[in-house]
Amino acid sequence: MLIANDISYSYDHTSNVLAHINFNLAPGQMLGIIGPNGGGKSTLLKIMVGLLPIQSGQLSFNDKPLPAPEQVGYVPQVQSLNDSLPMRVSDFLSLLPRRPQRGLEECLKRVGLEDKRNALMRELSGGQRQRALLARALRMSPSLLILDEPTSGLDSQGQDQLMQLLKSLQTEDKTTIVVVDHNLAQVLKHADKILCLNRRHHWHERRELLTQTILEDIYHCEFEHLRLHEAGSSFDDEHHHCTHDHDHDHDHDHSHGDKK
Amino acid sequence: MIASLSDFIEYPFLTRALITTLCLSATCGLLSPLVIAKRYAFLGSAVSHSTLLGLAIGIALGGRDNSMTLFLWTLGITLVLSLFLAKATWRQTLPPDTLIGLFFTGTMGLGTLVHALTSRGSGDLMSYLFGNVLLLTQTDVAISVFICAVIFPLILFPFRHWLLATYDEDFALVTGAPAKMLHFIFVTILTALIVSALKISGTVLVNALLLTPGFFALSMARNIKSSFIVSIVFSVTTALFGLVLANYLETPSGATLAVTQIAFLFLGKAYLRLRLSL
Repeated sequence: MLIANDISYSYDHTSNVLAHINFNLAPGQMLGIIGPNGGGKSTLLKIMVGLLPIQSGQLSFNDKPLPAPEQVGYVPQVQSLNDSLPMRVSDFLSLLPRRPQRGLEECLKRVGLEDKRNALMRELSGGQRQRALLARALRMSPSLLILDEPTSGLDSQGQDQLMQLLKSLQTEDKTTIVVVDHNLAQVLKHADKILCLNRRHHWHERRELLTQTILEDIYHCEFEHLRLHEAGSSFDDEHHHCTHDHDHDHDHDHSHGDKK
Repeated sequence: MIASLSDFIEYPFLTRALITTLCLSATCGLLSPLVIAKRYAFLGSAVSHSTLLGLAIGIALGGRDNSMTLFLWTLGITLVLSLFLAKATWRQTLPPDTLIGLFFTGTMGLGTLVHALTSRGSGDLMSYLFGNVLLLTQTDVAISVFICAVIFPLILFPFRHWLLATYDEDFALVTGAPAKMLHFIFVTILTALIVSALKISGTVLVNALLLTPGFFALSMARNIKSSFIVSIVFSVTTALFGLVLANYLETPSGATLAVTQIAFLFLGKAYLRLRLSL
């Protein structure tokens, strides 16, 4: 069980990026974390994996406090890789701080990259690189898998393939999965529970209750803009002039939805 | 030119230069791909220029005759400065190049001032700016052998950790790899290498030794292992060739080494491009 209890975080000790976040996730479930830029998604993810310290509150997985490197598999953004080194896929998957629990071939096969073992990481497509990152995390056989923007830069087919892969890990290996993503469609389609962050949190035990109206309120813009945002487009283009305050400070409370 | 090779056996100062160049170029070849991949080229430049402050204080307090005293003063002061820089640039949100630039000019300016105020009439720092093999002593040879013997195992034994911290720093930190400690160790050994190479290549030109081999290797190698091997081989062969050339042409060693390495870099890349186009 993944449990977050009253997590708050502030970069400057004056205003909270995260305020009193609570959620729980049963083993083998998938949590999708969505929200506008600056809403605190990346901050929460960094706290979960240990890149930022816990300032207040508790975070635990299977009754052990997080971060717990031995239990958690982290899949960073593709852009975090330093491609100046000529790294082969097989070398990349062997670059682990501890003895791996799963074989190289098994993990490559699992993500469909068995024919790319000698290719250079920098020569792979965006989707292949993402799968290589996932394969590296799988080598440690993690109970909790945390992914940062896994569908970023992938076409719709690549997104579907990746999410199907995550679903298979969830069902076959009973891996608990946390996905932080801008891609609303994929997150809403696949995640069992949704956490919407816009400095305050909106917790959704049942994703079917997350209506268009709620999403519009969380993001402070209309659904059409959300779709553009999801596609990585500018909010202000010739077809969609946006007058909404995307940097709204969320000082007022939001009382709808099934917020805890 | 072939006849001038016997000079390296006949004249002790050239034998010293040969051994020192061999040890330091091999070590530079080993570190070079990491310096480039970590984007530490500018940081290396700043550290090499900050040695001027250490040198000026070292010369003022210990004189220039005792190689070990001068080395220790220069290393100690440069290490304090570079570790401050390492701390200030570790995972900062703002780009570190401004701070490095300020450090670069500040320490170099301060070094020149200290030298001007404390060493009137006792020579200038020119030999240390561009290298001079005539300054090499037995102690310098021993220092270069020691630096090589310490740095090689420090890189090769935890090689996987170095690669992990360089290729994917976030993942390294999350999985408990000692990425932060490696950052400080790297700046420390880089500083020691730069300080020990001052007499061969000089403050200004030591960057050629640090950057050229890695740049050549990373642009042509197809895997990690070969990129480090190519870098070391390129570094040693071109540095030794540069030293022989400097002796033959009677030119300054640092400048000849730097120009030779960069010339081989461009020749090598042109050859590879030609081969690909055929």
